[in-house]
Amino acid sequence: MPQKDDYAARDDDSLVRAAKQGDMAAFEELVARHRDKLYARAFSMVRNEEEAIDLSQEAWVKAWQKLGQFKGGSSFLTWMTRIVINLCLDHLRKQKHPVSLSIEQLDEETGGVERQMPIVTIDPTEGLTQEELRRRIDDAMGKLTHAHRTVLVLHEFEGLEYKEIAKRMGCSIGTVMSRLFYARRRLAALLADLQQERQQ
Amino acid sequence: MKQEDVIKIQAWLDGELAGSEAESVERLIAQDADARALVAELRWTKSALVRGELERPVPESREFYWSKIERAIRATETARQAVLDRPWVGLVLRWFAPAGIVAALALFLVLPILRQSRQQPWVAGAEIESPLSDVGSITFRSEAEGMTVVWVNTH
Repeated sequence: MPQKDDYAARDDDSLVRAAKQGDMAAFEELVARHRDKLYARAFSMVRNEEEAIDLSQEAWVKAWQKLGQFKGGSSFLTWMTRIVINLCLDHLRKQKHPVSLSIEQLDEETGGVERQMPIVTIDPTEGLTQEELRRRIDDAMGKLTHAHRTVLVLHEFEGLEYKEIAKRMGCSIGTVMSRLFYARRRLAALLADLQQERQQ
Repeated sequence: MKQEDVIKIQAWLDGELAGSEAESVERLIAQDADARALVAELRWTKSALVRGELERPVPESREFYWSKIERAIRATETARQAVLDRPWVGLVLRWFAPAGIVAALALFLVLPILRQSRQQPWVAGAEIESPLSDVGSITFRSEAEGMTVVWVNTH
């Protein structure tokens, strides 16, 4: 039986091969290696610590069951990220939608309000340290609705095309474009506000 | 700028436009200062997002986080093994359980029709007539006493 240190020295492909043969210690090493990234992605989408932990763990259980289907066409992490994103999308779909939308929410959904927002001409992220930038973006992302945040995560972090996002979210390409546009413009305004607050 | 134009500008920036559509957006950007400002804003937002995903470690220890996954995996494996050990259980779950549900549903739907065809009044479908149309009642409920009093007035 290999020791824990032996597993830590092995690459993902080798661990996946071992896990496919039922080696749970190899699978545990894969979990330890990638759990933070998967949890972070789940958190980006659901913005709730407990839900993000549960969803990321569910993704690992699912991965163990479907490991035979992983053919190595993409990296193991990419494959895992896809699983956790699909679980998050299902989770968000199952969540209760508010019975009535506020006027602002309605404007967001129909995509009209973003045209009235002034264009942010000076880049408010300029001169920020990487850590500061990440924190501000995270704060701003937390202020977006689930639908807008999801589109941003899928497009900017996952690099998916409009067509693929529409398929995953079960909406039209037009809706994806409109939500993405709103999300970016709102994010720009929120980042500019944060900078103003900091200067005052 | 029209809504259609701003959405096209974004699509151009994301590399989703090609050929004549891309050329028409490029012309618009060259001619319109607002379009150029919008492109600049979308560009820095996009680049900030690419650089700016916060690293977020799992707020649980490696052992605790893994223990929950391991438990769930073992539970599903045990359930799967039980089905493999007793294949008839799988057969029952796969075929007989749905068949039972369909049969119960059919019975529920067909029974009232059969009763009606025999001209027997079926309680749930029959209209209930009350001879006490001019009777009034007042109900009093005391939560503290755990008591309900119904006063019936026949006059």
